[in-house]
Amino acid sequence: MNSMTVGFAGLTHLGLISAVAAASRGVEVVGFSDDMNLVGAVNHGHFPILEPGLPETFAKYREQLSFTARLEDLAACDVIYIALDVVTDDRGQSDLDPVRSMIANVLKVLRKDALLVVLCQVPPGFTRSLPLASERLFYQVETLVFGNAMERATQPERIILGQSEVQKPIPEALSQFLKTFNCPILPMRYESAELAKISINMCLIASVSVANLMAELCAHLGADWSEIVPALRLDKRIGPYAYLKPGLGISGGNLERDVENVVRLSGMTGSEAGVARAWMTDSRYRKEWPLRQLHREVLAHKPYARIAILGLAYKENTASTKNSPSLVLITQLTKCAIQAYDPAVSLEAGIFPQLETVPDALAACRGADAVVIMTPWPEFARLQPDRIAKEMEGRIVIDPYRMLDPESCHSAGLRQLVLGAQ
Amino acid sequence: MINHHWTEPQKPGRVCILGNRGFVAAAVAQALVERGVATQTIGANEINLAGPDAGLQLAGRLRREDVLVFVAARAPSKTIPLFMENLAMAKAVGEAIGQTAPAQVIYISSDAVYRDDLDLVREGDCAHPGSLHGAMHVAREALLQAVYKGLLCVLRPSLLYGATDPHNGYGPNRFMRQVAAGQTITLFGEGEERRDHVWIRDVAEVVYRVIAHRSWGVLNVATGHSFSFREVAEQVVALFEKPVAIQGTPRQNPVMHRHYDSTAGFKAFPDFHYTPLKDGLAQTCLQGMKKL
Repeated sequence: MNSMTVGFAGLTHLGLISAVAAASRGVEVVGFSDDMNLVGAVNHGHFPILEPGLPETFAKYREQLSFTARLEDLAACDVIYIALDVVTDDRGQSDLDPVRSMIANVLKVLRKDALLVVLCQVPPGFTRSLPLASERLFYQVETLVFGNAMERATQPERIILGQSEVQKPIPEALSQFLKTFNCPILPMRYESAELAKISINMCLIASVSVANLMAELCAHLGADWSEIVPALRLDKRIGPYAYLKPGLGISGGNLERDVENVVRLSGMTGSEAGVARAWMTDSRYRKEWPLRQLHREVLAHKPYARIAILGLAYKENTASTKNSPSLVLITQLTKCAIQAYDPAVSLEAGIFPQLETVPDALAACRGADAVVIMTPWPEFARLQPDRIAKEMEGRIVIDPYRMLDPESCHSAGLRQLVLGAQ
Repeated sequence: MINHHWTEPQKPGRVCILGNRGFVAAAVAQALVERGVATQTIGANEINLAGPDAGLQLAGRLRREDVLVFVAARAPSKTIPLFMENLAMAKAVGEAIGQTAPAQVIYISSDAVYRDDLDLVREGDCAHPGSLHGAMHVAREALLQAVYKGLLCVLRPSLLYGATDPHNGYGPNRFMRQVAAGQTITLFGEGEERRDHVWIRDVAEVVYRVIAHRSWGVLNVATGHSFSFREVAEQVVALFEKPVAIQGTPRQNPVMHRHYDSTAGFKAFPDFHYTPLKDGLAQTCLQGMKKL
């Protein structure tokens, strides 16, 4: 491949991961943000995000990476990706103004022979509305998964590329760059690509919703969802990587945003979106599973109990707490004393007056009437139930993700409540 | 689905209860009096809410600082005349609270406002009644919302039981009277339908807490635990020394269950928990069912 330079405007989770992944494919990379402090930190290898593999990949390809707060430096790029994370509000609605603003700025410095690729999560119709000639304008679907983003960015299953017309050949510079990822490239019109991103998320939510429903039935009927899952994974129509782990609803903001998009678009076009609304209702119900368990098993007898919360992040390997089930739970435990621990999240003091953060998981369990494992951090799976039992005052462990070994919990005299089994 | 105007509970001023002889009204009044709350019940013998000038009469009795608990109803509202009479009562209440704007209004509605085939009921579910009785409650809720812009709390109780129940409907109350009289308990079908049964004293407790917090919004009054009628019958029989038979009958209607998601209740009142059915039945049994 001839030497080429790829730019990433926006040093967000998406931008940083994508920039480092691009460098790993042999191109020169310019990362831009107007936040000078952020640029300075990143240049020194200090990242505002937690993502396994990021520091190592960054160090390995450091020489190909430059980060700048000068917009003009993007003029050196053959291709510029707009890579801002799209902020969503509590109702899952996107704020696209920062994306539009960034695009307007980048267009000021984009070379006449350079290409622009929108990598952000935008709704159908957004890319085509941009003021740039269609032969230079593209939309690429990102499939960032928090906690696994580096691996997915460097080894994508496929690349979905939106362009003005599906038959048009992909310009040489972009084609060369994309081919370095050694995966299928699927060109389609802008709107299809924008909707492909949403479609992927809808399929994931559908799988998770089914898993949660069936897991709850298992718990009521004496079945065990973990015994059923391998059978489903061997079914070609479902597949080995299907989202079949029961959980506490959907979180993180991105999935919620896409459901909101589907409901909005359906309202606009007169399509039936009842199933998407049902997913959100279901998600809220699942998120409150630990609260219901706590009330039934502990608070009905001891309303002012001491509760240990293990995990604050919305999922493992991230410091994000967006729509985190853990924070949803803590908000409702106003009468309890809470001892919380998370390997990556530190809450500002005073946000929850009833909460005290402690330095490790066992310290959180000390004197607790119940332990609730709200985030499936790998380190929680290494906790010894007998050690937990020794620290605790009570015997209830609410462990939705079944992080602890059931046999060991039983031997330690703990009553372990999990999703998908009695 | 309810919010508290007062985060911490406060002792309320005067509470006026519309209804005095009914099952719920009497229990609420008793609970408030036991807590030293100034309580005034207004029964049909004082103001006929369906009569002419009832709104004016009621307005004359209310003060701005009052909490009004609207319980009175001709129930079950199965016929059109009863439906219209119940709406006339609500119209009078609407006129009165429109004039006096009391500090808080609590309306005791019903879970009949929900679709009959709703398996898991939540406050956010669409009110879509399958009966005139449910439609009456929906219409009353809407009427109150239209005329009163203050702190309106709508409580939708599930099936209620307690010693002073005057209705003797199918369920714990009738079963208890049947066992006390040594009669066989007859079930519809095999009593498979699962329902959520709430002890009347818990209803009164919820109303008190809603008053003490000046809460507003909609809350179901349900325990979150549903039992089949056969299980209820068995629990009732076990409370008495002399057992009676429990007999099924050929099923006439398809089985429909009803469960409640009680999360909103946990959020509203974290330190309140409903009395388990077994304990509530035992208490009711101790008190002795009122003779009809």
